[in-house]
Amino acid sequence: MALPAATIEQLGQWEVPEQQIGLWSDALQRFRRNRLAIAGAAVVLLLVLIAFGSPLLVQLHLIADPLKQHVEFIEAAPGQNGYAFGADELGRDTLSRLLFGSRVSLAVGIFVQAIILPIGLAIGLTAGYFGGRIDNLLMRFTDIWYAFPDLLFVLVVVSVFGPSLLTIFGAIALVNWVGLARLVRGQVLSIKEKEFIEAARSSGSAPAKLILKHLLPNSLGPIIVTLTFGIPQAIFLEAVLSFLGVGIQPPTPTWGQMVFDGYENIYANPTSVVFPALAIGFTLLAFSFVGDGLRDALDPRMKR
Amino acid sequence: MAVTAGRPTRGALLPSQLSAITSTRTGSLAIFIVRRILWMAPILFFVILITFTLMHLAPGSPWDKAGGRQLSDTVINNLNIRYGLNKPVTQQFVLYLWSVIHFDFGLSYQYQNKTVSGLLLESWPYTATIGVLAFLLIIPVGVGLGVLAALRQNTRIDYITMGFATVAASFPNFVIGALMVVVFGVLSYRATGGNFFLPTAGFALDDHLIMPVLTLALLPIAYTARLTRASTLEAIRQDFVRTAWAKGLPERLVVTRHVLKNSLIPVVTTLGPTFAFLVTGSVIVETVFSIPGIGRAFVVAIESRDYPMILGTTVLFSLVIAVANLVVDVAYVFIDPRVRLT
Amino acid sequence: MQLGNHLRATALVSVAVVVAACGGSNAPSLNLAPADQQILRANNGVEPNSFDPTQQTYTYERAVGIQTFDSLFRAKADSSDVEPLGATSYDVSSDGLTYTFHLRTNEKWSDGKPVVASDWVYGWKHFLNPALAAGYVDPFFDLTIKGAGTYGSVDVSSASAIDAYLNGLGLSAPDDKTFVVALDHPAAYFKWVATLWMAVPLRKDIIEQAAGGSFASTDATKAEAWANNASTIIGNGPYKIKEIASKDHVTLVPNPNYWAPAPHLQQIVLYEISDGNTAYSQYQTGALDIIGVPLADVTVVRNDPKLSKEAKLIPTLSQYWISYNSTRAPLDDKNVRMALSKSIDRDKLVNDIEHGNGKSLGTFIPKGMNGYDTSDNAQSFDPAAAKKLLADSGKAAQLAKMKLITRNSTASKTLNQFLADQWSTNLGVTIQLDVIDSKTVTRNIRKGQFDIYGLDGWISDYPDQQDWFDIFVTGSCHSLNWGCVSDTSYDDLVNKADAESDKTKRAQGYSQAQKKLIDNAVVGFMYQPYEYDLIKPYVQGLTVTTTDDQNLPGDGRYNQAYITQH
Repeated sequence: MALPAATIEQLGQWEVPEQQIGLWSDALQRFRRNRLAIAGAAVVLLLVLIAFGSPLLVQLHLIADPLKQHVEFIEAAPGQNGYAFGADELGRDTLSRLLFGSRVSLAVGIFVQAIILPIGLAIGLTAGYFGGRIDNLLMRFTDIWYAFPDLLFVLVVVSVFGPSLLTIFGAIALVNWVGLARLVRGQVLSIKEKEFIEAARSSGSAPAKLILKHLLPNSLGPIIVTLTFGIPQAIFLEAVLSFLGVGIQPPTPTWGQMVFDGYENIYANPTSVVFPALAIGFTLLAFSFVGDGLRDALDPRMKR
Repeated sequence: MAVTAGRPTRGALLPSQLSAITSTRTGSLAIFIVRRILWMAPILFFVILITFTLMHLAPGSPWDKAGGRQLSDTVINNLNIRYGLNKPVTQQFVLYLWSVIHFDFGLSYQYQNKTVSGLLLESWPYTATIGVLAFLLIIPVGVGLGVLAALRQNTRIDYITMGFATVAASFPNFVIGALMVVVFGVLSYRATGGNFFLPTAGFALDDHLIMPVLTLALLPIAYTARLTRASTLEAIRQDFVRTAWAKGLPERLVVTRHVLKNSLIPVVTTLGPTFAFLVTGSVIVETVFSIPGIGRAFVVAIESRDYPMILGTTVLFSLVIAVANLVVDVAYVFIDPRVRLT
Repeated sequence: MQLGNHLRATALVSVAVVVAACGGSNAPSLNLAPADQQILRANNGVEPNSFDPTQQTYTYERAVGIQTFDSLFRAKADSSDVEPLGATSYDVSSDGLTYTFHLRTNEKWSDGKPVVASDWVYGWKHFLNPALAAGYVDPFFDLTIKGAGTYGSVDVSSASAIDAYLNGLGLSAPDDKTFVVALDHPAAYFKWVATLWMAVPLRKDIIEQAAGGSFASTDATKAEAWANNASTIIGNGPYKIKEIASKDHVTLVPNPNYWAPAPHLQQIVLYEISDGNTAYSQYQTGALDIIGVPLADVTVVRNDPKLSKEAKLIPTLSQYWISYNSTRAPLDDKNVRMALSKSIDRDKLVNDIEHGNGKSLGTFIPKGMNGYDTSDNAQSFDPAAAKKLLADSGKAAQLAKMKLITRNSTASKTLNQFLADQWSTNLGVTIQLDVIDSKTVTRNIRKGQFDIYGLDGWISDYPDQQDWFDIFVTGSCHSLNWGCVSDTSYDDLVNKADAESDKTKRAQGYSQAQKKLIDNAVVGFMYQPYEYDLIKPYVQGLTVTTTDDQNLPGDGRYNQAYITQH
């Protein structure tokens, strides 16, 4: 009678450390082998380098000053008058503004997701795992959160706390976590009924451990998609905010604002909307490759 | 069942009937739905409370103009009296709640003498038509593309789908709409001398709908496709699917019987938010294509601080979203019977 | 006139610009399209908030108002004087206090009933009812009409107080065709007030019928019930409303009972397309006949061989300026304000930023109006002089702390980034932009919580200087005189000129007043905007005049326009 229990205990002791060591080195190996993921990581790295290095490029006279106006070259087409990517509605260099735009836009895209992730995970996992009254209350809370006008909410938040980068990140995140929370909850609801979870539960695993070890990795794919799609949405929301007059103040360039301004000039200079949109697209793509690579790398079933 | 055996008193009937109902799955579903509908009252109350507070905290009054000469203090004072804004805020809130209970959403400030309910009824059909059409497009196209990309992972089909999804997500829909207008409207018109082109603005139940619906549906389609791809990849790796493959079942059977059900779960979860996006996100499409829908009315109401219109639209939105989420939760039960109702 | 929803302006010229061939009445050369094609489709941009002319303040509201209701007069095409509409002539008493309007004898409402003097009395009283809080009351009527001055102190919750106020007004109808207005003080410009779109007659019987019977004068909802429905909007204008398709379009058809010969146009459809790019694409795909070209597309149109032939550059009677908060240091120093005003290259502003849609102007009264005078060049572009002024004042460091409050529209943001760049280049002072939600900007400037604000401006309601100089008199703070400058010598000059009936003396008074505005750099005068419109070549007979709407050239005289075979 004592034997099976001891075996289980032994198994547990024997398995956990092995898995942890193996998991990470294995994961790194798998990630390295994923060419798309490496390419994505390279692009992300490049973007970060650009964000930090663009002022240096100006000092070295490799690119123009993004704030310098040349009103005689307004809406110059790409290649015209020495503007490789054209000029904007005030004759400022689009290439240079694109490079500088990465600074705020990357920050907005990434930090907002970084705020959304813990909120969405915490609420989604709690609601999905515990179910019952807690789930019901949390989900009705999300219903309320959904329904009231976020434009108004952001306006009030920023006018109360004053427009700073932190307020803007916070305001965007606060109106955007609901989707992730509901998604995570849905994943948890469907996964938690599966056999291996039931097995772990009946063997007395602590809820926190269950969530972290089983529920989370199994819903990683959709979470990554939601987060990476969230990046362009956050970048655009920043532009909407500055439209409302509560975003990043001009003349600081951001990709979202460049897209918005480019829209007005879509007949005069179509590339003025295409370039920043492509920049946002590359960022999205790079992060989703990295995300997919991470998911595959962390998924033990992918062992080959 | 005991109920049919005679005519028991009301008090006697209820508990037994209830237990009879709850003992079946359909019965518990019915109770679940009723409970969720009852929940809508507190949800609406809080939505109104929060919106009301935000509205009055937001800077600027309904009577401030967007430029030029402003109204005199006298006129503003008289306007405040005319619309009851001179009363204490708490009193205004109670009065508003009282009239909402009587389905009276008040008069718009911006459109003189028009009732909010009238304005909502006027603009709702446009938004609903375009939203529903877009919604009908999203599920088959988005899910189809996603499953296809996952099954053909790392092939050309996968890359094209992913590329499309990336472009659709990184160009905001007003830009996509405007680009479509340039290509299918203006340039086609010029190229064909006006014989073939898509109308670039306005609403009618004909080719006017093509560009607005596509513009609205593109981002959700892209998102749904990516989501489905991710969840399908997860599903394919599940043991029972591997078993099914191993058993040599034809691909179509494996997909429809085993994969699809599992990969649909995250998609279904996001249908509620997607629907909310279609309703509230309609503002951009309605502006680009000049459609007199509710999304545009809402943003105009916020910009002009048309308090009753803001509240009325918000109440309507929250009802739609609450119902959509309820439908989604019910849909779960059918897709994944293991899910417990709460 | 109230600007529309965006920073654009109304068309205005001293001499009428005849856009296309003059439309003689039945000349054989008209090449008229069949009656079912006599439809004019134009973009009005926004849905009117009210179809009651007395409640209208914006240009896009007035666009419908002037088609459906006639006031007593309208401005002549060359804006030199007024010409008859509802009234055929008028007399002024020798003391200048009584205006007697002789009404048109054959004028009828769109339902066929004759227009009588009591309708005018009723319409003007409706406008002046304080409970209705009409937006345009304040600048004009209450100060001039006898008994109207107490408008602000009437208790709007008391019907008897309102009735007493309305009955005490100097408005009377001695007979059916004579309308008499008594003034509180002489106002040489009052004939121009009688051209305003909100000074119209209204039908008591229709209004009461729509309200479901007679109503207390406190009840604004009942008083305005008629204006919601095309069937109860009975007007005396050349057109009547056939259909109100909310937030999409308004359709006008000729008023069969109008006194003038029937027009060629059988329908005028005014669309409410708010997005400039959308309107532009609608024009290019043949769905609109007249649009205002979005600023971004001006260059495209100029360079397009086909579109450039359909485009018209139309001067407007308006002017834009920068407001300085003179209650805040260092902007309380006239030299600092002057330095800021002198360091903007207005030619660059007009030619590059505005793509040539305007005229750089460092003075107040726009070209095309009496009083246009550029001889005072105190504010004209001169970076060296500007730098010297600032250096002498020793307040450069203080000035660098000022912010330029900016509305969140693309037009304002672009313009103000240019202004900031000019100050940094030409004056060496960095002034940060403060872009805020438009409502918040309005609230802040009303409360005087700003440093520098630009650009704001004015469009003539009527081509008389009184309409302009009143903007800066003391006590007009928080209306358009954001800087809150107060100068009693300026007030005296303006008040005297307003009442002066001698033309030369009046002009001299205003001229001195203008010099004070410029020399004290009360505001920084920038440029007179022009309108760039596209008009399909088959639209003929449009006469563009001083009082037309920004996007609707010729809207004051649509009854002469026609569509040719195409």
